[in-house]
Amino acid sequence: MPVVTPTLAAIIFAAGAVSGGFGALLGIGGGVLLVPFLNLALHLPFTVAAAISLTTVIATSSSVSAARAGKQLINMRLGMLLEVATAAGSLFGGVTAQMLAQSTVQKVFGVVTAIVAIIMLTRLQRRNVILDPDVEPGALGGRYHEEESGGTVTYRVKRLPLAMAASFVAGNMSSLLGIGGGFIKVPVLNAWCGIPVRAAAATSAFMIGVTATAGAVIYYGTGQLVPALAASAVLGVQLGSRAGMRFGQRASAMWLKLLMAAVLFVVSAVMFTRGIQ
Amino acid sequence: MSQLERTIGAVLRAGVITSSFALAVGLVLQFIDAPGAQPLLHAGILALLATPVARVVVSIVGYVRERDWAFATLTAVVLLELLASAVAPLVFNKRL
Repeated sequence: MPVVTPTLAAIIFAAGAVSGGFGALLGIGGGVLLVPFLNLALHLPFTVAAAISLTTVIATSSSVSAARAGKQLINMRLGMLLEVATAAGSLFGGVTAQMLAQSTVQKVFGVVTAIVAIIMLTRLQRRNVILDPDVEPGALGGRYHEEESGGTVTYRVKRLPLAMAASFVAGNMSSLLGIGGGFIKVPVLNAWCGIPVRAAAATSAFMIGVTATAGAVIYYGTGQLVPALAASAVLGVQLGSRAGMRFGQRASAMWLKLLMAAVLFVVSAVMFTRGIQ
Repeated sequence: MSQLERTIGAVLRAGVITSSFALAVGLVLQFIDAPGAQPLLHAGILALLATPVARVVVSIVGYVRERDWAFATLTAVVLLELLASAVAPLVFNKRL
């Protein structure tokens, strides 16, 4: 276990602030940046890095969802249903993480980050799906007021088994790699399950608290969650994501996404190379 | 806004505030070598981990009150999965 010095705590606080800021700005969790930094730059064991990152995912999910609760953007019923799959995936991934060699997990991380980057590039221009306002939302669908257009968006959920499968995979990756997993769920829910991107993102952010908890308690129980380091990261991410959200409301972030995709490809390559060495 | 959503929002907010406070104070105590740092840091982490669990428990109660048995069952399954994760390290503690 790493020795906790004030310097290390300060570095992790700063890393949390930066990754939380970029995460909020780009609508992806900061975990894909925080985990490689902790593992590769600070030489923390991968499981220790993943555990720290998961605590920041929980904190972000809780604070973002507390602010959004009751504003209809979060589809709580759909979220609770999909949590059955993400929590199962997370339990499975957390147990797997205890059995795999660090090099294997690094390779998986490399592949997954490359996928995140590709998804980010393909979604540079998000299409605004025009939805029929007269549609019946059904048992799982939703309805929310959209501020930009001033209209009410109503949607039905399609292909529920696919949403459940994506949620299971997202949960699995979450606890194995120490990330939120929103980048897997949100595109699937949006592209194939009929859920508007903002509702999909808000519902995913709501769910990842439970998902990450299922993973984090495993690391806590095995003693791989170092409280002082997790505290530094959590407080840093809280600060950074608040700043990122404020800035993000003004910034049109196309070039930021391109930059981020480039950074992710580098992270992916470095992580993968480390894994095969 | 439904009562359940309001309660969930309040639970999440209380959890974030409690855990952030405990973690911040614990961290400061740790670096001035004051007693009580470790227990407070652990309490902060446990409060952080307990927040989503409390949200699930509140949801179960809410769905039972609404007599929405399907969702009461689903959220109870999520709670069981979280409990399974909590006991998993006892079974798979190869690195302990």
